Amino acid sequence: MQGVINTLRPLLLGGLLLAVPFAVSPAKNVKPDPNGLAPHAVQDLAYGDVLFYFFEDDYFDSITRLLAARQLGRIPHTPDEAELLLGGLYLSLGEHVEAGRIFEALLNKNTSEFVRNRAWFYLGKVWYQRGYLEESEHALRQVSDKMDPRINAERYMLLAQLMMRQGRYDEAITALGGWHGAPDWTAYAQFNLGIALVRRNRLPEAIPYLDRVGNMQTRSEELLALKDKANLALGFALLQAQRAAEAKPILQRVRLEGPYSSRALLGVGWADAGMGEFKRALVPWMELRKRSLLDSAVQESFLTVPYAYAQLSAMGQAAEFYNSAIESFDSELKRIDDSIEAIRSGKLLDRLLNDDKKDTLTWYWQLTTVPNAPESRYLYALLASNEFQEGLKNYRELNFMSRNLDDWRDDVSAYDDMLDTRQEAYNRRVPKADAVLAATNLDGLTQKRVDFESRINEIEKSNDVAALGTPEEQKTWARLRRVEEYLTAHADDPDLSDMREKHRLMKGVMYWRLSESFKARLWNERRSVKELEGQLKETQKRAVLVRQARVGTTLTTGRYAARVAAVRARIDQLHERMADISERQNLYLQSLAIRELQGQKQRIETYELQARYELAAIYDRTSNGPPKARPSTPPTAPQDTPPNSPPLTPPNSPPLTPPTAPQDPPPDPPTVKP
Amino acid sequence: MNLKHRIVSIMVCGALLSPAWMAMGQTAPPAADAPGADAPAPPAGLKTLDQEVQGLKKDVVDLNKDLFVLQEELLFPANTQVALYISMDVGAFFALDSVTVKIDNKEVKNYLYTAREADALLKGGVQQIYLGNLKVGRHELVAFFTGKGPVERDYKRGATINFDKGVGAKYLELKITDRVPKHQPEFMIKDWE
Repeated sequence: MQGVINTLRPLLLGGLLLAVPFAVSPAKNVKPDPNGLAPHAVQDLAYGDVLFYFFEDDYFDSITRLLAARQLGRIPHTPDEAELLLGGLYLSLGEHVEAGRIFEALLNKNTSEFVRNRAWFYLGKVWYQRGYLEESEHALRQVSDKMDPRINAERYMLLAQLMMRQGRYDEAITALGGWHGAPDWTAYAQFNLGIALVRRNRLPEAIPYLDRVGNMQTRSEELLALKDKANLALGFALLQAQRAAEAKPILQRVRLEGPYSSRALLGVGWADAGMGEFKRALVPWMELRKRSLLDSAVQESFLTVPYAYAQLSAMGQAAEFYNSAIESFDSELKRIDDSIEAIRSGKLLDRLLNDDKKDTLTWYWQLTTVPNAPESRYLYALLASNEFQEGLKNYRELNFMSRNLDDWRDDVSAYDDMLDTRQEAYNRRVPKADAVLAATNLDGLTQKRVDFESRINEIEKSNDVAALGTPEEQKTWARLRRVEEYLTAHADDPDLSDMREKHRLMKGVMYWRLSESFKARLWNERRSVKELEGQLKETQKRAVLVRQARVGTTLTTGRYAARVAAVRARIDQLHERMADISERQNLYLQSLAIRELQGQKQRIETYELQARYELAAIYDRTSNGPPKARPSTPPTAPQDTPPNSPPLTPPNSPPLTPPTAPQDPPPDPPTVKP
Repeated sequence: MNLKHRIVSIMVCGALLSPAWMAMGQTAPPAADAPGADAPAPPAGLKTLDQEVQGLKKDVVDLNKDLFVLQEELLFPANTQVALYISMDVGAFFALDSVTVKIDNKEVKNYLYTAREADALLKGGVQQIYLGNLKVGRHELVAFFTGKGPVERDYKRGATINFDKGVGAKYLELKITDRVPKHQPEFMIKDWE
């Protein structure tokens, strides 16, 4: 019962996804894609993450992550697929303008025909549903014929329906006349063709098409409904053409338990009446009278029953039924008035959404239960309408987003606290950092390292092996040098000759030892110099970082604080807009509900007026003499017959089920029923 | 005008006022009582409100995106950021129940999967299971996967990786794949450079 678009939205993404998985499906063992594109491994993790939320039907998170990933440059490998999905996600939010912009941009790029066709098709479909007929036709005509045959069939059907919505029946007849497709789609095509011919007053040509659909053999509930519609449409068209005898058996083909049975019963009664069989006409009309007064066909039966009695000269019974009708209409009018007042109090939408799960936005959402309130019984028809469901969905999405903004507002306050804490920590650390920096003479340390390296070079150049000895060795070497000096000073002392020999020997041994380890020690010293150089560089780098952080932290914190302040302002501003638009949306939906109820009220008032008029006429005739039978109008009399109730026929026949309707679609299973 | 004629008029009026096809549980018929009378483009006022709603919703989505980016930059700066993702390939030999992740021997995530989430993974979604901060240097990650293995048996397996966290963000993918020849699931951790 929900509007087409509620069904359409999931279909759209389902269809889009036929394109999407190729970009991300990590599966290697899946069956080959019907369109011949092989799946391959994940190329962008961020895009996979977007799809995770998408597959969970959490479109709001999905679109947020997709936009963020795109901004952060995290989808470098599959940008087109991501754009296609983004367009679909915007559609899920009802943002067809933005979706259209994305699709068109995508279409201007060098994308594959497959992607192009899908994009144009779904864009056309959405625009059609939202009433943007010219845009829709433009988009649908961009789709090439190299499409999946079922989608192509749906496209042709949409184009034909679009023409019919614009009153371009001749074009629709031409388009549908030569069309052939799968049996289910063909049934819709023939039905639509029949209706278009009726609208162009070409009933004889319409009859075979509608009759064929009305006689088709099927067990599909969807096609059975279409069959009923075809019989109803043809039956009323024949009544309108004053062919009551032919109309009756066709109207009798409508299922008694189906959704069109009330209208069919009404029509059967009119067919009997049209043939002058008022007694027979009473059978379906009396049956109808037992049904819910909310149905307009039932309301009409409250007048047709006494009318038939009057035609049968049973004025007493006619008066009785008129009185009964007036009473019933009065009660109904009172209930409608009460309901209108209840709706005006503004609580309708809250009551409607009371049991709604509020945590996610998905395409599949629709209102399935109505609140237990007096006005609910009048709103079923309204709730079945696309306009109301879409409006309600918008209202619900705005509520969801309002809560989302509330959540962010709390988070943003936490960010403020966090930034304050960071700033405080920074303020505490700055003096310590300054003290450390001030106490560290990095230039002096660097100079020392340079001096040290020069000293090593000198030692190597002068082959000063003792310079790299251990402290003990250097001590020994120094003693030997002092002994040597003493011996040199007393060169003529013969008592020192033994000492000289010992000194020579000891010095030779010592020099041997130092020379032997000199190269290794020199290498170690050079390595130490290198390490020192590396450590000094690291220290210098850290010092630079600390200095940068000292200045930068304030700047970064300030920048974040500015961003936080900016988003908070945006949240506040959006909140205000949200409140205003939600209120207007509420009022708009209220007005729809009230308009619906007032329509029902107006119809019942008209019926009541007719009943009163006829009742007065009966009383008048009774008081002026014995009741006389009303001259029964010959069924063929052109001005008399129900068929002269012109627009009732095809329009009230439930015409032209769009093949996209929930139960309609003879659709492409993978695309239409994701 | 006689009664019948009037009733007919009422019926017509009723038909016009009442979208009977809606009550019948059908979608709006594209064709109308009279050409163009039933389903024209939306009225101008509606279009305006619809456009305003669209504009507002788009602004909220854009704001969410900016907040998402701000939050990540603020809480998980690139120089310390580490993100773990989980993906499943086919899943014929393993039905995922939960994942536990430890980094440097400290449990950072223990996640139980709903059927819907597991299904989203099977369809090709990649879940970001953890987003956190780590210092530059060498780290160890251990992941434990529990679920139903082949022949509906309880199944628990682990996978480990040592990785270097540099100055940029680090991305790691926990992959569950089917090892067809052995009819067993396989668990790997991929380091996305």
